[in-house]
Amino acid sequence: MSAPPGGGASSFGRALARDAPIAAVALGRALRAAGLPVTPDRSRTFVAAAGLLGAGRKALYWAARLSFISSRDQLAAFDAVFAAVVDGIADPAGEPRGDPGAPAVPRAAPRAAEPPRTAAPATGGAASEQAGGARPLEPQTVAIGVGASPDERLSGTRLDELDDAELAIVARLVRRLALATPPRRARRSRASRRGEHLDVRATLRRSRRTAGDPVAQLHRRRRERLRPLVALLDVSGSMAPYARAYLLLLEGAARGARAETFVFATRLTRVTRALRQGRAHAALDRASRAAPDWAGGTRLGEALRTFNDRFGRRGLARDAVVVVLSDGWERGDPALVGREMERLARLAYRIVWVNPRVAAPGFAPLTGGMAAALPHIDELVSGHSVAALDAVVDALQRHRGWRSAGSWRG
Amino acid sequence: MTARPPARAGAPAALVERVPDVATLATALDACDYLADDGLATAMFLSLRLPQPVLLEGEAGVGKTEAARALAAALGTPLIRLQCYEGMDSSEALYEWNYPRQLLRIRLAEAGGEDVGEDDLFGREYLVRRPVLEAIEHPGPLPAVLLVDELDRADHDFEAFLLELLADAAVTVPELGTIRAAVPPAVVLTSNRTRDLHDALKRRCLYHWIDYPAPAREVEIVRRRVPGSARALAEDVVGALGRMRTADVQKPPGIAEGIDWVAALALLGAERLDGEAAERTLGAVLKYREDQEAVRAAGLESLLRGPR
Repeated sequence: MSAPPGGGASSFGRALARDAPIAAVALGRALRAAGLPVTPDRSRTFVAAAGLLGAGRKALYWAARLSFISSRDQLAAFDAVFAAVVDGIADPAGEPRGDPGAPAVPRAAPRAAEPPRTAAPATGGAASEQAGGARPLEPQTVAIGVGASPDERLSGTRLDELDDAELAIVARLVRRLALATPPRRARRSRASRRGEHLDVRATLRRSRRTAGDPVAQLHRRRRERLRPLVALLDVSGSMAPYARAYLLLLEGAARGARAETFVFATRLTRVTRALRQGRAHAALDRASRAAPDWAGGTRLGEALRTFNDRFGRRGLARDAVVVVLSDGWERGDPALVGREMERLARLAYRIVWVNPRVAAPGFAPLTGGMAAALPHIDELVSGHSVAALDAVVDALQRHRGWRSAGSWRG
Repeated sequence: MTARPPARAGAPAALVERVPDVATLATALDACDYLADDGLATAMFLSLRLPQPVLLEGEAGVGKTEAARALAAALGTPLIRLQCYEGMDSSEALYEWNYPRQLLRIRLAEAGGEDVGEDDLFGREYLVRRPVLEAIEHPGPLPAVLLVDELDRADHDFEAFLLELLADAAVTVPELGTIRAAVPPAVVLTSNRTRDLHDALKRRCLYHWIDYPAPAREVEIVRRRVPGSARALAEDVVGALGRMRTADVQKPPGIAEGIDWVAALALLGAERLDGEAAERTLGAVLKYREDQEAVRAAGLESLLRGPR
């Protein structure tokens, strides 16, 4: 980390000295192309920081890194771009850093335009056949519904049979389903006429109006807050037909119930922000880019472990209602699924598992990931059709203690 | 958006004199027994000199809070800590009126037959200062260090509120008027990443990810904190910590755990880390039963000489 390799730093440093804004903008633009959120503010900070630190390669590196990045996930991308712009080679600071297991970050190459919105359904065929046996059970109300609204007709339809136009209607339906979690008592209290505790402070304050005699007693009551909701959505090939509809449901949850949402196939990706901005499709695309072997299968145990290690244990899942949307097909070791579900169960308030395969006749979670997970979940629901999504909403609202033992064996 | 200063006002002259460059700051931190690497020293230097708040993130136990403490010690100014939690509001961060005392004043005035006006009651002596106001009222010439610890635990709206305060370095108390900082505090924010902080906040902060230190530096840190510990023991422990961090444990041990471990071993009179000593003191470093079992299953000896 001593001598600037190849002299690139000094030439960038010279450019910076000659016309700092232009050099900063050039670096900022390259970083933005790599997917970092670069704003003029940050470029300004960079120029000021570089001015304070001088022009050496190390100084430039830290000035840029401290100014431009705002999350550890961006480190690898930043290092790559910085190396490319400033000296054209890799390994900028010569120190290991960051998380070796962190998901791959976009390369320095400019991001291509968003792919068209057809990421998921290509691999849906196999799964539809798998679950196909269940179809006769589902009342296809289309024929009956002479005067039925499209909503009513669609409500019994299986989610994996929807075409794009129907999905648009479902999107509207699903947005009406307000996901809400059971309340918990918050630390803060608020004034209340008949609260649990006497509010001494407020009573004294009020008593100043009555010459210091506490005439009116004021009370406080603990506020209630909704528990956090955390959703883990399996977007691997076998779940692809459902993933789009579920994402719509979670999009509503992310905005309304402030749910944290993660998608996984072989890698875990946090998509909360994309969903809050109403970009469910972009989120799906992003997840598929992060997991190159998109349709290759599920690494359920790995995904759960990553979630527990990086998010759950730190507090994201604590006292939260966790909903896992997955068919429970695990390519790896089911024992890992069991172990990680046990950890998750210790953190979470309640775990609801949504598995569309539950609706198939004769389904019994006897093998694989689902069997390993079963002892640790509180409720298993199918959520395979629009009507069944109501059951999902109900399940999320229930308090702890309610378990659906054996309810899948109908 | 509020009006912001057109250009960076720059740091006060006393601060420029005290902290002329990164190396000086690093030396000052070193003198306070905090060994900062290049990145952290640079981050703190820029934070003081730009000036701009710095957001520190890192695994638990890499010394985020300690960094702020050392910065205050290096400057010789008070460290004012605001520990965040859910449901925090301005009466806990900014100020509150001392109602019982006001009431007492009224009673006293009544008893003495004197007239007490609102101006008397809402004077500075009845103001209870909370951390942010305290930091803003610090007279200087060097800035106080305001540590906003675990900001991710506070609510979103509190985050926005705090941001506004820090941008203006002023607090408005309706009864008193605006209290403007003579010397804006140096602000250190820490987060454990339980939730994403708002972009607006991140935009106005320098960001630094604190990594585990290089082994040689960690040995130095541990030995500084456990006076009289043998170098060989510290080296053994740091090696074992490195192996635990790369191994499959739920809670990788931080520097703090390393310090505890060496202290425990030193107390038992160990000069080197061997299997038996590790067995007796494992609870100082691994706090999950599963982690302890995993390490025991792999063999404690492997901690000492295993592949890194």
